[in-house]
Amino acid sequence: MGYVIRLAVILMFVGGVSAGGLALLNGKTAPIIAEYKRMEQEQARLDVMPDAEFGVFVLRDSSSTLPYYEAYADSDAIQLLGYVFAASGNGYSGTVETVVGVDTSWNITGIKVISQQETPGLGTKAVEIRYGEKEPWFQRQFERKSASTVMVDKDGGEIVSITGATITSRTISNAIRNNANLLKEKVSKKNQMGTVS
Amino acid sequence: MSSGAELIKGIWTENPVFRIALGFCPVLAVSTSIKNGIGMCIAATFVLLCSNIMISVIRKGVPSKIRIPVYIVVIAAFVTIADMVMHAYQPQLHRNLGIFVPLIVVNCIILGRAEAFASKHGVWHSIMDAIGMGIGFTCALIAIGIVRELLGDGKLLGFPILGNSYEPVILLILAPGGFITMGLMLGGLNLIDARRKRKAGK
Repeated sequence: MGYVIRLAVILMFVGGVSAGGLALLNGKTAPIIAEYKRMEQEQARLDVMPDAEFGVFVLRDSSSTLPYYEAYADSDAIQLLGYVFAASGNGYSGTVETVVGVDTSWNITGIKVISQQETPGLGTKAVEIRYGEKEPWFQRQFERKSASTVMVDKDGGEIVSITGATITSRTISNAIRNNANLLKEKVSKKNQMGTVS
Repeated sequence: MSSGAELIKGIWTENPVFRIALGFCPVLAVSTSIKNGIGMCIAATFVLLCSNIMISVIRKGVPSKIRIPVYIVVIAAFVTIADMVMHAYQPQLHRNLGIFVPLIVVNCIILGRAEAFASKHGVWHSIMDAIGMGIGFTCALIAIGIVRELLGDGKLLGFPILGNSYEPVILLILAPGGFITMGLMLGGLNLIDARRKRKAGK
């Protein structure tokens, strides 16, 4: 009995020291990581909506399931360029998160995969930058396509899917299409209400 | 054994992948390209070094009945430390290595070395063992990575080598290709060893 308790105490001690050490370290690194993520998201918004370089992004519906940003060309938020929203779906292994920019006629201005855990060498080609190029070829395909109908070639669309990673390609396309359609409805409702009142 | 021998054994006679046959899971997962392989190796060697040192230090205080859970806690703690520190201070590196870091917890080379070596040897030899095993793991991953990236993607380190007319063998990038490449290499190494032994016998 005494031996069992001794074992338990030792194990608890090792676990406690490790957990305490990690908690301390987490307290130091968590704010830095959060700040980095915030900057990264800001950069992602600019990447998918390059015309807003001198403008602002205004967050709308932040508490809903589909928050989105209105992108303006100027800092006074007068000239509306389009919308930026997130689209995520289940890929081959885990969630694939994408940030999408669309102009006011719902054509895609750019997309950026911001988080994924896909298979290295296959699904990760969604973020691969070919030698001599500056942007990932897979994501560039989406530019100027209509967001509400975007689809991979295997489903009859025009996005060339990644070889060996159809699931990843399809996940990204479908998530963008679904959320674009949801947002389109939401925005048009809002505009109607705006004209009534 | 001298500390130098502990270092060198990990590279050939006790190569963790080809000889002890450990760590197949990360080998198959990340040997699709050389760059991935190197990233995994840096992260794994760091954790292996830290866990070997720590386990060698505490080896006399840990009762043998609970040694495995203790080792796992130590290893998991170091993996999390590596993950958090890298995420906070080297975000670019973390973005590239991100998916490999959690994989290290399940890398049986680390637990294998803790159990087979660090728990029975002093700190200095454990450090040498960790570095040697790390180099051995790196060599194995690079060797497999070269074959898979070159034939499966027509590239080396991301540079196109075989040109546009080359039709990549997708199979090699997929998991079965990893098994096939590794199996052929294992067989090749065994053949070399068998020949050597025969020569020595005569």
